[in-house]
Amino acid sequence: MTTQDTYTDRLSDYLDGELDPGGTAQVEAHLEGCEECRKTLADLRLVIAHAANLQDAGPDADLWPGVAACLGDGRGHVAQFRAPSPSKRFSFTMPQLVAAALALMVLSGSMVWLARLGGERTDFPAVAGQAVRPEMTPANLADAHFDEAISDLQQALDSGRGSLDPETVRVLEQNLLSIDNAIEQCRRALAADPANVYLNSHLAEAKKRKLALLRRATSIVAEIKG
Amino acid sequence: MRAVTATSLMLTGATRLHAQMPQSATPQAGAGAADFVALAAGGDVRAFEQLYRTHLPRVHSLVRRMAGGRDTDEITQDVFVRVWQKLGTFRGDSAFATWLHRLAVNVVIERFRTEATRRQRMHEGEDVFEILAAPRATGDLAMDLDTALTKLPDGAREIFVLHDVEGFKHHEIATMLEISAGTSKAQLHRARMMLRKHLRPAQGAPITT
Repeated sequence: MTTQDTYTDRLSDYLDGELDPGGTAQVEAHLEGCEECRKTLADLRLVIAHAANLQDAGPDADLWPGVAACLGDGRGHVAQFRAPSPSKRFSFTMPQLVAAALALMVLSGSMVWLARLGGERTDFPAVAGQAVRPEMTPANLADAHFDEAISDLQQALDSGRGSLDPETVRVLEQNLLSIDNAIEQCRRALAADPANVYLNSHLAEAKKRKLALLRRATSIVAEIKG
Repeated sequence: MRAVTATSLMLTGATRLHAQMPQSATPQAGAGAADFVALAAGGDVRAFEQLYRTHLPRVHSLVRRMAGGRDTDEITQDVFVRVWQKLGTFRGDSAFATWLHRLAVNVVIERFRTEATRRQRMHEGEDVFEILAAPRATGDLAMDLDTALTKLPDGAREIFVLHDVEGFKHHEIATMLEISAGTSKAQLHRARMMLRKHLRPAQGAPITT
């Protein structure tokens, strides 16, 4: 191996800052007197620059059908509820439990945020500033029936909480908290924009979701106890 | 019990993403992306399709370069299926794109991983110099570089793509490929020297390594 080979092999490390100060000084001293290595160094810089600017391109054909066909498996986890006896084990898929609340949670934050932010949207109808039509009844934020129903269901669930698997209880509470957060976000946004049709419908939907989730959970508890 | 835990993690990760939703970003660039990730983590296939379409060009290009153009479509599909399966473990500690690209790299590596194969891939292709010395077919150096990549030895190409295109460090590459950092450096230099010849054919002298 010649001296030039030795230095040529170190040029990439030199460019990448991988040499220690002594090695760097040696290479730089060599470069001053070696035109060939200077050319090589310039070429390597060119390669690196082009690599950093490569353009991305997708496939010629749409791969989604093949991907979608494989999505059915691997995510259908089933949560087992602990029951007093083996004959009274109940289960339902966790997506049933979490999907609605999760989607609601995420959509709530973004939709409320968007509604408050204003501006043009292409994927949602513009509702900001739109007056409530007379035939529409905005959700009642102080709906006594709703609060009463929630309270009853919550008590029923609390009384049967011990029948459920602790991990399931934790997931359930997370979902309830997420829905409560969504309701609270709607409530705050509506305080500034009470006539916003979207926010009102979204709040009503959130309340329905909470009721449905509580009813589902309490029915499970009732079945276990029964 | 295990299934419950896995799903709970999914919800926790999504919750964290939701909490990190930028409050001042534009809806399209900030909250929208986080929403799609969270929704997909919750099982929303349509949201996942949106993620797929957003990231497909980048992932497909990464796979094509890493795999040298072999089975690119099939591997890309595998990547997105794996993303779907593992999305619940994404905790938002890094950008989703970063997480996705790292996963894609791992899928490609696993695809070709055996110790014997790996060793061979690091040393094969000595005859590549003449192939790469062919004059450029177009005036687009970037396009030519993509073409030239397919002709590099597998090991040198993988390391070049990981380091110079994807921006991984040598110690990260060494871990991913189960090689030493020194080997990574040597292979990177080797790849650059080969590509240098291809990009400047008129001035190139025979390359020695």
